[in-house]
Amino acid sequence: MSSPFSINGGAAVAMVGKDCVAIACDLRLGLQSLTVSNNYPKIFPYGDVYLGLTGLATDISTVSDLLRYKVNMYRLREERAISPQTLANLVSSSLYERRFGPYFVSPVIAGLNHKDGKPFICGFDSIGCIDFAKDFIVSGTASDQLFGMCEGLWEPDLGPDELFETISQALLSAVDRDALSGWGAHVYIIEKDKVTKRLLKGRQD
Amino acid sequence: MEVLLGITGKDFTIICASKAAMRGATILKASDDKTRNLNKHNLMAYSGEAGDTTQFAEYVQANVQLYSMRSGTHLGPDAVANFVRGEVAKALRSRRPYNVNLLLGGVDPTTGKPSLYWCDYLAALAKLPYAAHGYAQYYCLSILDKHHHPDIELDQGLKILRMCTDELKRRLPIDFKGVLVKIITKDGIREHDYVDDKQILPA
Amino acid sequence: MAGMFAGPQEMMGYSFNTAPTSASEPRQHSFYPYTDNGGSTLGISGADFTIMAGDTRSTSGYSINSRHVPKLFLIGGEGPKNKGARIVLSVVGFAADGDALKEKLDKEVKMYKYQHGKPMTVSACAQRLSHILYNKRFFPYYVHAILGGIDEEGKGALYSYDPVGSYEREQCRAAGAASSLIMPFLDNQVNFKNHHIPGSGEGHDLKPVVATPLPKETVIELVRDAFTSAVERHIEVGDGLQMMILTKDGVEEQLLPLKKD
Repeated sequence: MSSPFSINGGAAVAMVGKDCVAIACDLRLGLQSLTVSNNYPKIFPYGDVYLGLTGLATDISTVSDLLRYKVNMYRLREERAISPQTLANLVSSSLYERRFGPYFVSPVIAGLNHKDGKPFICGFDSIGCIDFAKDFIVSGTASDQLFGMCEGLWEPDLGPDELFETISQALLSAVDRDALSGWGAHVYIIEKDKVTKRLLKGRQD
Repeated sequence: MEVLLGITGKDFTIICASKAAMRGATILKASDDKTRNLNKHNLMAYSGEAGDTTQFAEYVQANVQLYSMRSGTHLGPDAVANFVRGEVAKALRSRRPYNVNLLLGGVDPTTGKPSLYWCDYLAALAKLPYAAHGYAQYYCLSILDKHHHPDIELDQGLKILRMCTDELKRRLPIDFKGVLVKIITKDGIREHDYVDDKQILPA
Repeated sequence: MAGMFAGPQEMMGYSFNTAPTSASEPRQHSFYPYTDNGGSTLGISGADFTIMAGDTRSTSGYSINSRHVPKLFLIGGEGPKNKGARIVLSVVGFAADGDALKEKLDKEVKMYKYQHGKPMTVSACAQRLSHILYNKRFFPYYVHAILGGIDEEGKGALYSYDPVGSYEREQCRAAGAASSLIMPFLDNQVNFKNHHIPGSGEGHDLKPVVATPLPKETVIELVRDAFTSAVERHIEVGDGLQMMILTKDGVEEQLLPLKKD
């Protein structure tokens, strides 16, 4: 319980669909068993690429702020938006810089590649090892539950609406079986030239 | 047993801190002020380890003011909160971290919107409608959950605060010597004359 | 619950341990009376049936002891083969305790019929099992048990237990190593948790879908889906899927292959 990864609680998940990707997170922030906030989103947009961060709340802020700075500098220098693949490598190298004093976060990335429009998702461990997945990535204190849900519900080539239903059901049912996650969710559905953000109410306990 | 409470309403933020300065089981002072004005519209309340608290508070207070002098701009509540968090976070991974818990109350002078930030010693920052630190969390958050609404007027806010401090007096085993109440509005920070002499008997 | 009975953190699932020391120093040996043999079980009850399932892999640490160690046991009936048994017990956790528990419950259910001249009801058997577990409150059977049967009204009955005998009748329950993966899936697919009637309201005003008993074929499919999913993501689950389908006509046993990796 005193692992830095499970002090504040939280869950995030990303999924691939047909020409679309989805990323979702819960909204809880807690201190052990006490809930401090029920509106603490864990997904951060970097242009049209999205980063989900779970783990220690302080490091969620630190890492998201650091990457906002780095992505902004990238955009200024390169005069173009960052691609999901590039962001993945940026996250990886930023985390590995702190190899022996890591940020206690489990990041998840979702986006569409700018050139070919191909869906891209990936996850990381806290020191930057990238997990390229073709189906889904889970992270946070409800990761076991999310693995079970995603493995059971996900199928290839889901359209945006089906993908929304799948990721929402997966996340909500998963966090309902985790005491440290829940209190509603944010879901992003990323399509070629449209991003839909939805707020899910979910159980308030 | 230090109490920090914060409540926002329609156009104000209330910050409330216990007046007892304690070292172990001893009360050294009964009129302690655990708050610092960071600028005209931002107030910080702090609790935690004795030396760290004032040292840290004065450090960020000076730097917020220095920034405004250099740039000729004022820092809004969001900017102040993120700056303060950054300083706690920086110290967290240093040789000697600050052991401080903070509440940052403010009102944006341009929009008039109130704001309240909760920040613990790990530098976990959360923007909240109402917040508490320490044991006050266990006693007051449930009261606030039930009675708080973002559109409340100041008198309603103070009424809820009274419920909270009464509950604390009723349930905390050590006398925290009453509370200091400060109110932040678009006109600035003012101390509220909080009548606190009524004895609350345990239920 | 798990934390209450969790063994030493460094233990890799073996009960014996020798601390490495240099030759001249005294050696410290330790004995921990429990081993986690991994695996997962689940049970779902329907209108007139109950389905029990469990994988057949047995592990200790990262090793596979066997690919076929059943976790489902017939309770009662006639003789050592439990002919005509109407109750199924599933146990997951420490296999030796599970075996001992099964033997004890089976003996008591058989003795009940011998002494009373009628078979034990599921509800009675469920309460007896609770007592057996609680009798070892301070040296518990290290198992998560699930008991399935058909009740006096002909409805599917399912009871789940913690290691010291707290029990509850439920519609469905997953236990063991992959319970955290399977249980939310069951909530969603069996009890329709987080399912709402489209257009019946906004936010919390949305009307939830009320859970109705599922047909047997659907439940069998769900059980297979749950286990194939668990096998993908949990190393202690795999090899074979043992299923027992309890109806008024008796118990039908199925053995299906699962991935062996």
